[in-house]
Amino acid sequence: MRAAILFRWTWCAMVAIILILTQGQAFAEVSGKIVIFNAGSLTIPLAQMEKEFEANYPQVDVLREAAGSQKCARKISDLKKPCDIMASADYKVIDKLLIPNYADWNIRFATNQLVLCYTDKSKYAGEVNAKNWYEILARKGVIWGHSEPNLDPCGYRALMVLQLAEKYYKIPGLYARLVANRPKENIRPKSVELVSLLQTGNMDYAWEYLSVAVQHGLKYILLPDQINLGNYRFDEFYSQAVVKVTGKKPGTFMDMKGGSVTYGITMIKDAPNREAAIAFLKYMLDPQGGLKILKNQGQPPFVPCRVPTGAMKSSLPEPLKDLVEVKD
Amino acid sequence: MKREPFFWVSISCGIVIMAFILLPLIQLLTSPSVGMLRESIGDRDVVRSIWLSIYTAGLAALISFVFGTPLAYLLARYDFRGKRLVEGIIDLPIAIPHPVVGIAILSVAGKNHFFGQILAELGVRIMGSVTGIVTVLTFVGIPFYLNAAKAGFEAVSPRLERVSRSLGASMFGTFVRITFPLAWRSMLIGIIMCSARAISEFGAVVIVAYHPMIAPVLIYERFEAYGLKYSQPVAVWLVSISLILFLLLRILTLHKVEEQ
Repeated sequence: MRAAILFRWTWCAMVAIILILTQGQAFAEVSGKIVIFNAGSLTIPLAQMEKEFEANYPQVDVLREAAGSQKCARKISDLKKPCDIMASADYKVIDKLLIPNYADWNIRFATNQLVLCYTDKSKYAGEVNAKNWYEILARKGVIWGHSEPNLDPCGYRALMVLQLAEKYYKIPGLYARLVANRPKENIRPKSVELVSLLQTGNMDYAWEYLSVAVQHGLKYILLPDQINLGNYRFDEFYSQAVVKVTGKKPGTFMDMKGGSVTYGITMIKDAPNREAAIAFLKYMLDPQGGLKILKNQGQPPFVPCRVPTGAMKSSLPEPLKDLVEVKD
Repeated sequence: MKREPFFWVSISCGIVIMAFILLPLIQLLTSPSVGMLRESIGDRDVVRSIWLSIYTAGLAALISFVFGTPLAYLLARYDFRGKRLVEGIIDLPIAIPHPVVGIAILSVAGKNHFFGQILAELGVRIMGSVTGIVTVLTFVGIPFYLNAAKAGFEAVSPRLERVSRSLGASMFGTFVRITFPLAWRSMLIGIIMCSARAISEFGAVVIVAYHPMIAPVLIYERFEAYGLKYSQPVAVWLVSISLILFLLLRILTLHKVEEQ
């Protein structure tokens, strides 16, 4: 008798479990892993987006790998690492290294600007301001750095800011004088690494994106729009800055021309989890979703996001088309 | 004699392990073309970084030898309270993730730490310097030397040392004349292990010093900036040169064993 009751209960429980499991699957349209390769400077906002997104899609696991934007692209093009989404701190990296072989489109979704970061322990922290920063960086004994121009857009952008400063403040030779006071040892692979050098007191000043400075609670100096690379209205002035970076093989070089800081994002053509990746992008590029997080983290988004041509817009996955406008 | 199944299990496991180690290495060594290899060894940056790798690793081994030998001897000969703790501390660098080692060293070397301030006043710079690289490599390599040397000293009977001491030799004289000749092989193996560990270190070094570039950092940089094609030849050179160096050391030691 007892056995019969027990049997009936087990049976009911099993049916209940099966029902719950199948129901759960019916609710979540997408599931599985989404692999995102992202620029180091996007790490914190993306972490927040991941949390919010996964709360809505519990079946999805977002896996982020942060690196210099150039490296992110290399992992896809050279190492053939499986990846769904790639977000770059310079949309040109996607154009240059991923289109047309690994991606079809490139959505510009946010801007940023360069700031000079420091801490209260930095040398001359008491005197530095927007008017004298370049004098202080030229002083002997001040340790300042930027990221590797050959690997990280933030690196060549820092050099561009210095070149533009020479033009804007009309001080001939300023760029050369500043760079001469920055030994090669102060260069790091990616800009976010400089933050810990500042915080541990190994470095006095470092060039970072505004968003990174805000997210890490660093002190920073805001520069005029003419030189901070943050305002596309000054693109013409920015284009006077030219930095030589390494080309496709050792010993070759190419010129990077100054332009406003514009972030780009794309989905990789053979993304292992296409459905989920599109769902994530739809959330991320939504003004009420990911773009809002970016804004709060000091990284002004484009509302709506932009693609350069109508042809590119028509190549976007259907759910993303309403989120972008065509604007060069 | 009939072979038991266990024998065949051992053989097949051995083959699997050999293949596991050798397959990727052979793939690496054979992928770059001869032309690429020649081009990369003609590159001054490549030669400089390999040389820097070898001599910083060598320096780390030398420092481990000089400072580690007395401690290894102490641990092999004496029992004291807290000995287990000291041994545990010695093994710590093996267990800590490499980037953490780099971060830890940098945070002590920075101006926000009193030790870093002393260093700054002495004009010693850890970040981005050869001093920093050697510091990191010693940190990760020294446990290997200490453990090997300690095992070597433990294998020498204390009775021999006591005889020497009773005949009037000093502690130092006994060490030089009795203990060292019997234990030098273990010490040499310790030095090899320590420098092998040091030459392979990447994670901690890249945090402390990106420039000047040791070979593993250069390989990483080449990979990121130019892709696999240009990083592999450097890797091949580093692997081959360290392989030859370590083989030479092994052959030298083995040779002596047969003589005795």
